[in-house]
Amino acid sequence: MDGRRRLRAALTALAAVILLSGGQTALARIKLVTLPVRERVEIQLENPNATLVEEERVVTLLQGTNSIDFSWSNTAIDKGTIQFRVVKMPMRDKRQGDHPSLVTAEGKVEMIRVINVAYPPDENALVWEVFAEEPVAARVRISYLIANLRRSFDYRAVAERDESTLTLRDYIRLDNFSGEEFGDSGIWAGFGPYFHREIGLNEAKQLLLNKFTMVPIKKTYTFDWQNGPPVPNEPEQRYVEMRYVLKNDKEHKMGEFPLQYGKVRIFQKDAHGGEAFTGEDWGKLTPIDDEMKLYLGLARDVQVKRQRADSTREAVRGNLFNQDVVLKYEVQNFKPDALTLDIQEDINRLRDEIFGAKDRDAEWKVEAEGTSIGLPQTERKDSRTAIFHVPLEPAPKGEAKVTLLTVTVHLKLLNEW
Amino acid sequence: MRNRNIQLSALLGLLAVAGLVAPAWGRNVDLATVPPRESVQLTIYNSEDLTLVREVRSLTLKKGVNMIQYSWADTLIDPTSVEIRPLEKEDQIEVLDTTFPGDKPQHLVWHIESKLEGQVKFQVTYFTSGLSWTADYVLTADQAEKTMSLDGYVQVYNNSGEDYENAQVRLVVGVVNLVEKIQELARRGLIPPAEGPAAAPVQAKARRMAMAGAVARAEVAQEALGRPAEIIKEGLSEYFIYTIEGEHTVPNRWSQRMVSFQARQVGFEILYRIRPHQYGERPVRFFMLKNDAEHKLGTTPLPDGLVRVFRDNGRDGLNFLGQQKVTYVPIKADIELNVGTDDEVVWERKVMSVERSNFTFEQLPPLQAQRPPQVVGWDQTSNLREEIRNYKNKPIRAEVRHVIAGDIELKAEGAKLHDFHTVEFTYDIPAVDAPGHKFGWVYSYTEHLGRNAKQNSIRMPQ
Repeated sequence: MDGRRRLRAALTALAAVILLSGGQTALARIKLVTLPVRERVEIQLENPNATLVEEERVVTLLQGTNSIDFSWSNTAIDKGTIQFRVVKMPMRDKRQGDHPSLVTAEGKVEMIRVINVAYPPDENALVWEVFAEEPVAARVRISYLIANLRRSFDYRAVAERDESTLTLRDYIRLDNFSGEEFGDSGIWAGFGPYFHREIGLNEAKQLLLNKFTMVPIKKTYTFDWQNGPPVPNEPEQRYVEMRYVLKNDKEHKMGEFPLQYGKVRIFQKDAHGGEAFTGEDWGKLTPIDDEMKLYLGLARDVQVKRQRADSTREAVRGNLFNQDVVLKYEVQNFKPDALTLDIQEDINRLRDEIFGAKDRDAEWKVEAEGTSIGLPQTERKDSRTAIFHVPLEPAPKGEAKVTLLTVTVHLKLLNEW
Repeated sequence: MRNRNIQLSALLGLLAVAGLVAPAWGRNVDLATVPPRESVQLTIYNSEDLTLVREVRSLTLKKGVNMIQYSWADTLIDPTSVEIRPLEKEDQIEVLDTTFPGDKPQHLVWHIESKLEGQVKFQVTYFTSGLSWTADYVLTADQAEKTMSLDGYVQVYNNSGEDYENAQVRLVVGVVNLVEKIQELARRGLIPPAEGPAAAPVQAKARRMAMAGAVARAEVAQEALGRPAEIIKEGLSEYFIYTIEGEHTVPNRWSQRMVSFQARQVGFEILYRIRPHQYGERPVRFFMLKNDAEHKLGTTPLPDGLVRVFRDNGRDGLNFLGQQKVTYVPIKADIELNVGTDDEVVWERKVMSVERSNFTFEQLPPLQAQRPPQVVGWDQTSNLREEIRNYKNKPIRAEVRHVIAGDIELKAEGAKLHDFHTVEFTYDIPAVDAPGHKFGWVYSYTEHLGRNAKQNSIRMPQ
């Protein structure tokens, strides 16, 4: 720690001389005070809800009882979490007369023992009573949870021009509003590299955890009738949304650790060796083998109109019926690139759209007859979500008009009443 | 021994023995001797704001009636609980009465008749509020998470208004019944002081300095031990009493934390619990052990307290895993510590489809020829898929529980019923580098709905 440091937490070893006289105790208040400096600091950020700080100091202990005073100001240290641990505890073999509570299962005795802790009122301080069997310079770690020393994660994704791969930089950011500064500190997030940095007061530090290069990505175009953004004055349209999908696995050159929740800033390389900012999104916590989907915005060059072309009831018995629903999508791709459009339907909400809200899940299937795409292109994501994958040709070059692709899907809603 | 606020005074005056009337002592001018405390014992309860204080003091009595004044300004003593009794020569000493003067708060006078003249040890007992204790625990797992060390602590807080020096401290684990709160009894009938009782800042600072010295002095006994004071545990009826070895000074507004027990090399198991209804959508990791001899514990129940869980990070340091309040753990009972979610264990559940069948129809009124029979009962079968993925470098055990309300028939291999509407699956999932670390299973259940519902429970066909 340099001369600019504003040390807030202080450790004081008081070498007290205690006199016993005639059964009355008297304390000589003349003390030799040593101020053990921090030799090392470890900041443990593994727990997202609490930051653990460990200070390593060499404390000189006299033979007998030592009072070690630890105080802090302007920092939010959780008093109840403060621990005093000897790093390499000197041990000896047990002797006759050792109290059984001191002897370990291996027949050893720790030569430095914390006897108790006293907490004075109205002060951010505590006093350890530490007993040493012989004079020793003990390397100790004082650990505590501290507030306002927080971690967060953010990412920088730079896509190649063809958007087939990207480079993802994963950063950890440390915001230090704890009221304390930390000199050369070890910083550990629980994964990724182990850092050594100085963390100043009110300082934020961004550290590169990992750089994933040439990460294959999938760019998706999704038309979601129920959840997509509506197009003004076009009741039969919704905007098509674009996303990058990154799979956090080895095959996609990642999969080393779960990607934490954080902001992802997305750039794309341009033709001039530079980068253009194309948007940002919050990346959710992405365990290994899961996908991180990053919303890019709206694809204005892909237009989709949806109509319910048919809705026919087929009585089964009594008031029980099946309903044949044909959905018609008119799709135009004005982009010069081929792409696959994902048309997503929430079948429960489609059913509610037709019959009014019901308190039961829809029972449904896709009928081959009346569906213009092959059944393999239809996906049952779960009991209520259907996705239809529609390949789109690029917009023709020159004067040729963009073709209008009509896709029909025949859904059968079963056993409704 | 110093008393800050509590004083026992033998009033020197000529007493009229007969009828104890009109003692010849002035109303505003008193002469008193102040016998100090010789010893004090604090028995602190944690279920109520209650401490039983036993003081021993020596009084020199004269023959006849002695007037003993006892006062406790600015403390939280219940006046109805204050008692005095001789510890010796009891057949020659009689406490005749106790008077609480109307013009003096926190003050009483005993008339003690003595047939002897000389020094006698007396015990004064009373209840006070403001002293309390809590337990807490520090658990440190080894790096491999196979064994742990578990340190138990007790922390004594003194906000009673009185300094207790060189006191024997006893802590009671257990629930006692009180019909009135001690703090209310202590405050009842108090005449508020014209000036606030709080010391001026300079005085308060001076007092803190003095108390620091007092605490240091109290450690003399422990220094002689050279080890943490042992806490002797003893069962008594429905209670456990922890007696802290030696004597301790607990100045007013200070607290002191002492080691209650230390257990090393304690084995434990790790269980991942998946209970969306209880813990949310992510697997939650538990450290599981028992308060028994096999786990190097079991000598005493564990009082309610906060458990802080750490793990050795292999670099001489710790990781903080979490903290949890535990409620009273009897001997041989399970200890389950929730150490939070784990990003390396993933669980997913999907309802893949639903199907309805077995419809029941009924012609509902009004009976109109054109109105068809209505569906009044049906069965709905849900087909589900679940998957647990383990990315840890060691196998894990996962326990999945789902609450499925209604009249349910469940078809699920390997499932068992936890209770009438909760199904449980338990699986051992291999480590990440072993085949099967992504483990999936499918099952289905049929819910009888409407008129088809006959009961509210899960059945599993054999």
